[in-house]
Amino acid sequence: MAVRKILDIPINRVEGDLELRLEVADGVVVDAWSAGTMFRGFERLLIGRGALDGLVVTPRICGICSTTHLMTAAKALDAIAGATVPDNGVRLRNLSLMVEHVQSDVRHGILMFLVDFANPAYRALPMHEEAVRRYAPLVGEAIVETVRETKRIIEIIAMIGGQWPHSSFMVPGGLSYAPQVTELLQCRHVLDAFRAWYERRVLGCSIERWKAVDSLAALDVWLDESAAHRDSDVGFLLRFGRAAGLDRLGNGHGAFLSYGSLDLPAETAAQGVGGHLIPAGFARGSVVEALDPTAISEHVAASWYAAADGGLHPSEGKTEPYASGEEGRRYSWVKAARYLGGPAETGPFAERVVAGDPLFTDLLERQGANALARELARLTRPATLLPTMALWLAEVVASGARDVYADPGPITDGVGVGMIQAARGALGHWVSIKNGRIDRYQIITPTGWNGSPRDSGGVRGPWEEALIGTPVADADNPVEVGHVIRSFDPCLVCSVHTVRKGKTLGRVRLEA
Amino acid sequence: MPRPARIICVGNRHSPGDDLGPRVHALLAGSRLPGGVELVDGGLCGLDLLRVIEGAGRAVFVDAVAGFARPGEVVTLHREDVAALTEGVWGHDAGLPYLFHLLPRVCDGEVPEVLLIGAEGPAETAMVAAVAARALAEAVRP
Repeated sequence: MAVRKILDIPINRVEGDLELRLEVADGVVVDAWSAGTMFRGFERLLIGRGALDGLVVTPRICGICSTTHLMTAAKALDAIAGATVPDNGVRLRNLSLMVEHVQSDVRHGILMFLVDFANPAYRALPMHEEAVRRYAPLVGEAIVETVRETKRIIEIIAMIGGQWPHSSFMVPGGLSYAPQVTELLQCRHVLDAFRAWYERRVLGCSIERWKAVDSLAALDVWLDESAAHRDSDVGFLLRFGRAAGLDRLGNGHGAFLSYGSLDLPAETAAQGVGGHLIPAGFARGSVVEALDPTAISEHVAASWYAAADGGLHPSEGKTEPYASGEEGRRYSWVKAARYLGGPAETGPFAERVVAGDPLFTDLLERQGANALARELARLTRPATLLPTMALWLAEVVASGARDVYADPGPITDGVGVGMIQAARGALGHWVSIKNGRIDRYQIITPTGWNGSPRDSGGVRGPWEEALIGTPVADADNPVEVGHVIRSFDPCLVCSVHTVRKGKTLGRVRLEA
Repeated sequence: MPRPARIICVGNRHSPGDDLGPRVHALLAGSRLPGGVELVDGGLCGLDLLRVIEGAGRAVFVDAVAGFARPGEVVTLHREDVAALTEGVWGHDAGLPYLFHLLPRVCDGEVPEVLLIGAEGPAETAMVAAVAARALAEAVRP
């Protein structure tokens, strides 16, 4: 019998309230458990509050996805109120959400993912010196440039919403604030500057050229085509990522989910599918089927919540913390979100697969899901959003920025759901209003999908599964584990902000 | 025109133990501020507060702290004190230490003096008032 020992290993940026327990045999992960160690509790906090309070409270769930939660809360109330949002209201809501996406994508890609290429674990790779020059923490040229160039884009949210941060300018029926045309022209200036930098630095080419990359073979052609492509952040991700074997790490269950997002205005030149710019759907491998929202459930068999085993739809589920003492069987404050009873990963890669994007479909079919493909999808998602952002901004300006709100009347009792794609994937708010107050509020975040623990059938969550087979060359510096986890962009800790003396480290626990 | 002093309150009003900044913000927002002093609700933001620092003559942050003071004691930390706490790599929880460390490299215009006024323990009325008073005193200091 193998001798098992438990090692607590600090790992940076797997967040202070996420712990991974890994079982390692012969230097390879053979089992994994992901534990969210903090009770969020926003759902309970909202019960009994006024019908509109979700618009104020939920943006404070996260410092990065604040606008995303606002949008989701507003859409749930739209549904309850039977609101029809005017086209300009739709466009400006979308623009705000897209700003959060493109900033998050670039910051995650460079500040959180590419920075690991400067890890000393890669000292022997020929490109390591270049990686250090570009991405060394706090001083790498790309790090500093990314912080400088991504700081202004959020001004668009401030100008559209009239306030930032934690704005509550989205309301049932549209926006509570109508920006002036002059403000929107300023938005255009900020957006154009961001796009120019993104094309020059991150892509190394125009968005139009990138969109022509439609297969693995075309990706190789693109990479060889010019020094600008190879020297871009996308180019370096590919060159270094392949050399480090990231295209062979982090496979997962092969099931992908997108709720669909960014509603198309009734009249627009933008093209989408099923009324969304980002299509909705579920895919097993590259086979895509229509999304059925009734097939979503939450399991708590391995989570510290009171409920019967088996999944409940979020419109029926509850969030009642239950410290059971069943250590081992229950191990996370994250519930297990499931679709058709099974796990599904969500995020930029899943979006592209569900959309039938030819490049990512080809990558999936030839290589399977992997950490490199997930991050490539994230770092290039702005290329799919920035042109439509400019289009919608122009459409609002051309129409005089009028009609951003249509009064739906008072919020009546009823149930509604807001489902969108956050930067990290599928986000839903399921809301019930009774006697003018919130009777039920259930939230499933992207990390509720990707970072879920085992379900009632004992099936691992997506990143638990993706970790299987991951090599751990150095238990003191498990950089490979970090690549896999960060390719999902975990987000659990955004509401804890206290300045704390000493280092705060998430932990990976290895059982070897 | 002189650059304003900005009091930037951060934290989560829905999270006990992290609600000092929002409570100080609420107190100051209901009072008349001295000329040249601006008040900002920084919420949960970290790196995105860079634009709020830029253009300020002095940036006085208010936040809950842990490990710097006895319960109830108000402390003043300088930018370098907080910057030294960064773990070097940005994450969703990087917060003020990362921002303060990078500030000289990424700030457009003159880098302002940056301070953090903090306290440890429950944000009770007396503590909130004491922190608000210290923040105001630092903001108007010549």
